[in-house]
Amino acid sequence: MWKEVRDRETGTLLPLSLVRRLRSRRLAALQLSNRKEIVSPHHGAVNSLQVDLTEGRYLLSGASDGSAAVYDIQHTTDYDGGLIAKHKNLFVVDKQHNHGHKFAISTAIWYPIDTGLFITGSFDHHVKVWDTNMIQVVMDFKMPGKVYGTAMSSIATAHMLIATGSADVQVRLCDIASGAFTHTLSGHRDGVMSLEWSTSSEWILMTGGCDGAIRFWDIRRAGCFCVLDQSRSQLGRRPPFSQGTPKRDFIASTVSTGKSSFEKTPVSQKRMPVGNGKKQLTTSRKNQNVSGGPSTQRLHPGMSSSHNRATAHYGAVTGLRATSDGMYLLSSGSDSRLRLWDIESGCNTLVNFEAMRLQTSKAIQLAAFQDSSLVFVPSMASVKAYDMWSGTNLGTFRGHYELVNCCYFNLQDQELYTGSNDRQILVWSPSIPAVTVMEEDDKKGQTLSTDRDNWSD
Amino acid sequence: MAETSRLAGTKRGRGDEEIGADSNSNADSDPRQALGLENNLTFSDTLVALQMMRSQFPSVEKVTIQPFILQSQLYSSVKDRTQVDRDLESLKKEKVLRVFKLSTGQDDHAIMFMEDYLKQMASSVKRFEKEKQHDLEVFEWFKTYVMESKLDVCIAHQELCSLLSHGGEVTDRHVTLLISAGLLTRQLIDPNMYWFAIPNIGSILKGLSQGRKELLSLLNRRKYKEMPLAPLEKKRLRLSPLDMRFHLRDLIGSGHLKSLQTPAGIIVRVAKD
Repeated sequence: MWKEVRDRETGTLLPLSLVRRLRSRRLAALQLSNRKEIVSPHHGAVNSLQVDLTEGRYLLSGASDGSAAVYDIQHTTDYDGGLIAKHKNLFVVDKQHNHGHKFAISTAIWYPIDTGLFITGSFDHHVKVWDTNMIQVVMDFKMPGKVYGTAMSSIATAHMLIATGSADVQVRLCDIASGAFTHTLSGHRDGVMSLEWSTSSEWILMTGGCDGAIRFWDIRRAGCFCVLDQSRSQLGRRPPFSQGTPKRDFIASTVSTGKSSFEKTPVSQKRMPVGNGKKQLTTSRKNQNVSGGPSTQRLHPGMSSSHNRATAHYGAVTGLRATSDGMYLLSSGSDSRLRLWDIESGCNTLVNFEAMRLQTSKAIQLAAFQDSSLVFVPSMASVKAYDMWSGTNLGTFRGHYELVNCCYFNLQDQELYTGSNDRQILVWSPSIPAVTVMEEDDKKGQTLSTDRDNWSD
Repeated sequence: MAETSRLAGTKRGRGDEEIGADSNSNADSDPRQALGLENNLTFSDTLVALQMMRSQFPSVEKVTIQPFILQSQLYSSVKDRTQVDRDLESLKKEKVLRVFKLSTGQDDHAIMFMEDYLKQMASSVKRFEKEKQHDLEVFEWFKTYVMESKLDVCIAHQELCSLLSHGGEVTDRHVTLLISAGLLTRQLIDPNMYWFAIPNIGSILKGLSQGRKELLSLLNRRKYKEMPLAPLEKKRLRLSPLDMRFHLRDLIGSGHLKSLQTPAGIIVRVAKD
């Protein structure tokens, strides 16, 4: 490693290449950490994990026994046997707390601006906003159904809305500033299990429902502007350039003519190939008498997509993750498939992630790391790592005894945290810690105290 | 191309090598004409694998059915799955083959070459012609208008009627006729959507799911849940009309079984997670 640092100094190696090399070397050596352990106080399955976005220091976990806990993952609380660092929780909020959740917590996220607040959503139909330092509930929102997922936009500067998906078909946006619901997004035909704000625009929200559809909402307008369809596909990362442009003119003309109701627009019935525009009107009819025709009421143009029944998965959409540049979206479904979507064109890039079995009843948390093109997927009792563009399985992390629900990848330290039904949170870190490499270079003759035998005399 | 033939060759029995090669050369001539003049010379790996598996389709006694290939079988015989998906997509667009969603299991798809499907459709229509004499033009409309333009696995009721109406006046009886011929199936979740289906395939599908269960239980009963491939291939399944090689390819491709190279040959093992 020192030779590479010297190369960077002299200019033989570019700084970015050095970073990338070190990172990929550490990622290739990812395994169950033998130096770090998180002591989990939960008495139920761990459902959600997140490290705070500002410092990357505090890990928040939510569990099925209604408890949420925060751990400091950079500073240890005590050592065990001199080698393994144990990280105990800084505090726990559980059912005994006078305002705690009564049923399982399905999602726990940090307020993206700082760690002063965190938000938990639970099966007791409540979304609570907590003050971290006082450990008190600051705000409480009641949902019409069990809360499956919450999300806040990390790039938002003009709003502080919590998007919540529940067993009810409508997605609600809760405002922390006012304490009320600002938006209700309808369009899904079943509960909404996973939500994700766009990483490139603070106004765009992506939701995945139990009906298998993924919808894109711009919260400044009514209705969703895009529904992902798994049969619309493109071969490759970006759609071919030549096919994109002529179709866009065609779609623009139909959108402008079809203002009031969708049955008036004469959309041609010929199947359009890859790379289409946003407003997909799938139903149209000629002047024949067809039984079971569409209703004759006029629809708001934003609501016309509620008739779009395209599905992104054959089952429920259980997890969504957008890449950090905002161009691709990963979605996992209960049909045990993982799909990579190109957000710009709305097409399925047809990357086939090799055979995996995903749990079907709960939402799972995926982790995507775009610089190294890695995707971590909790697959039954293990976590699988895939290459994002080719779909090859790069490694399987087996350590949990039961189904894994969530995984979170910490970019700073290249560590992976996984939580599962066996109530444990496991840490996976590169087995070549950079510290010992440097120490060995400096002090050649001195061995570490851990290598010495303690029992021989 | 050598890689796919080697991979596929390991699944064949010993004596099949020559037979496979002969029927392969016969199958070569059909898709060449179907592809047209532009892409005549090169075959993608996926296409070679499809043709080889089509020639190896087991002959079923009771039902006459044209060969079809399951998508999981394709995954097990070609290495790069993303490339398989993309090749399938381009072959679908060129109308060389059609993909159907099967009702057995979550993500089962069957691939059939276009000429095989048309033959299957023709034989099912012929049975209908003996019984009823009216409303049979809907099959012609289906073939010319719907099959050419709709390349998906499913179709909405509205779209179906508007495509069929290119041929003439469409009534509900026409749609009912298509469903009873087995060309369309209603979706369970959505009453307005139909899946495209292969007619007369019901008994084969039943045999498929029962054969899968039988093969998995056969391996699960063994002490170490594994068995060498050579004796496994010679066994016959009681409940399925399809042969062992078909089921093995299908289960390996869908991830239920794993095949490992050992010094004693290939061993098939039940996958753990």
